[in-house]
Amino acid sequence: MGTVSSALRTRPARIALTAVVAIALIVAPLVLPAFANQTLVRIGVYAVAVLGLNIVMGYTGQVNLGQIFFVGLGAYVTAYGVNHGWSIIVVFAAACVSAGIVGLLVALAAARLGGLAIAMVTIALPIVGVPLAKRLSEFTGGSQGISARFSDAPEWSGLYNDQWQFYIVLVVTAAAFLLARSLVRGKYGRAFAVVRENEAVAASMGVSPYRTKVLAFTIASIFGGASGFLYLAAVQYTSPETLSFGHSISLVAAMVIGGAGSIAGSLLGGAYYVFVPQLTNAIDPNFTAVSQGAILLAVLFLLPGGLVSLPRVIRRLSRRRTARPRSGNPPQTAPAQHPVPDAAREGHENTERQDRS
Amino acid sequence: MGTFIQLVVDGLSTGSIYAALALAIVLVNQATGLINFAQGGMAVLSSYIAYVFVQLGLPLIVAIFVAVVLSFLIGALVERLLVRRFERGDPDTAVVVTIGLLTLVTGICAVLWGYNNLGFPSLFPLTSVQILGAVVSVRALATTVTIVVIMVVLQVLFLRTKLGLALRAVADNPGSAAFSGLPVGRLLMVGWGLAATLGAIAGVLVAPQLTLTPGMLDTALVYALAAVILGGLSSPIGCVVAASAIGVLENLVAVYVPFIGHDLKIAVPFVLIFVILIVRPQGLFGRKVVVRV
Repeated sequence: MGTVSSALRTRPARIALTAVVAIALIVAPLVLPAFANQTLVRIGVYAVAVLGLNIVMGYTGQVNLGQIFFVGLGAYVTAYGVNHGWSIIVVFAAACVSAGIVGLLVALAAARLGGLAIAMVTIALPIVGVPLAKRLSEFTGGSQGISARFSDAPEWSGLYNDQWQFYIVLVVTAAAFLLARSLVRGKYGRAFAVVRENEAVAASMGVSPYRTKVLAFTIASIFGGASGFLYLAAVQYTSPETLSFGHSISLVAAMVIGGAGSIAGSLLGGAYYVFVPQLTNAIDPNFTAVSQGAILLAVLFLLPGGLVSLPRVIRRLSRRRTARPRSGNPPQTAPAQHPVPDAAREGHENTERQDRS
Repeated sequence: MGTFIQLVVDGLSTGSIYAALALAIVLVNQATGLINFAQGGMAVLSSYIAYVFVQLGLPLIVAIFVAVVLSFLIGALVERLLVRRFERGDPDTAVVVTIGLLTLVTGICAVLWGYNNLGFPSLFPLTSVQILGAVVSVRALATTVTIVVIMVVLQVLFLRTKLGLALRAVADNPGSAAFSGLPVGRLLMVGWGLAATLGAIAGVLVAPQLTLTPGMLDTALVYALAAVILGGLSSPIGCVVAASAIGVLENLVAVYVPFIGHDLKIAVPFVLIFVILIVRPQGLFGRKVVVRV
């Protein structure tokens, strides 16, 4: 286990691994059954939304319970644009920009507030959004919802619809993850981190907490809008149900379960969001809520750092097991490698390190 | 004028439901520094427990008493076995844990008792009286009075008793509270237990009106959260005032502003929050928290 992971840290190995993953992703839709493709597509859709949420919550430490509102907004704008015959590039830009503008406006007010007040302002978005979407039926189709088809495979490609949708989602999701990765590693990522840790310190270092928070919120909203575009590419239909409060809460849960403050964790969060309802429905539909709650609590209880910390927890456990008989004094070796005893923080730290190496 | 007074009175009576739940949220926050999203779900569970004992043939008041005692134990156990692991960690994770708890408790209620609305007997008679030309049910009046009494008791508990002082100390700074010799773990359990008790009282008070379903308090929870933020997390009086104001305002706006109507009236408290928090970020009655580096 240890040797495998250390071999993976070298540069050529990482490039090779990336290439293998990229090729696998490009070939996968051609060989997988349609249902698997659709599942992967939906993981991509929600991974982008979770990624945005991670930027504002995981990296900047501002609780945001309204991310689904921006997904819904993006989806509605996409549907409107497609049905009015806009070019698809314009539609995508409109979905991102409109979500970004609304996000900016909300953030300008919300970022003035501390801690849980932000949570309350953002909680309002889906709660107000659902009746508003029903009311503005001219644009949204009311509670009936609105459908728009633009992601059917074109003739020349010779692909099935699910394969074509897979490629659309793959391109946008990959671009979003690369963008987010360079964002959180650069100057803004450091600003996010210092605002998350201590706003007074941030201000004393010349980083404006207000501007940083507004920026994080706005970026998260843009990712939400992009996710809404992808949602419509995958589902081709949206209704007020899409932006319900329950979904917003599930997105936050998915973000924390995947791993707060981790790019890879966002992908795991997207997978969690899609798979767990499928799984719990398969077990027993009557117990859906019970098993979902139980799974959520069990994951957090065992892995407070999220699913992304699983390999490290396993590695630590196996190391402890092998170290014990040999040295006979494990407490001395273990703390030397892990200065922070708190499991949650340790997971977070290691995540960052792995992302940076 | 008659309609207006009727709307205000009805608003106050729904406001008292939000207030009860808001008080429980404030209590957990005062004692542990967390926001418990599962508060409504736990209150619903307590109401179901009371319902079971009524079905077993116990008098209503005894059944409620048993449910309240059991709720204290459940609250304390939830803190000890589940929440304690997350109290010092990441606040995001703690929020999600209480959301998971909400899902779990609601699911358990649904599995055990189903989604059908169950009738719950009321402690108070269903008669109504005329006050200033408005019809006021005795039940709503008694509910409001009970809530006000609880609010006063809580305020006294937190500000005038040793237990209240200890609970506040633990919430404010668990480290130095422990240094001062306070049993932090036990106090946190007491805090959760008390909040669950309060939730149980709120649940049995409103269950006759709303009829018992697993999602009975979902909407009320949203309003309660709004009231908590508006009134300030540190002020029981503030959140009761805010809850009543929200109840009255949403009723008035739904009738007098046609664009908003009944479907959009849930937006009213949040727009209000938006405006007020920008002027007073600490809430109407909250204290300003000064953070030192």
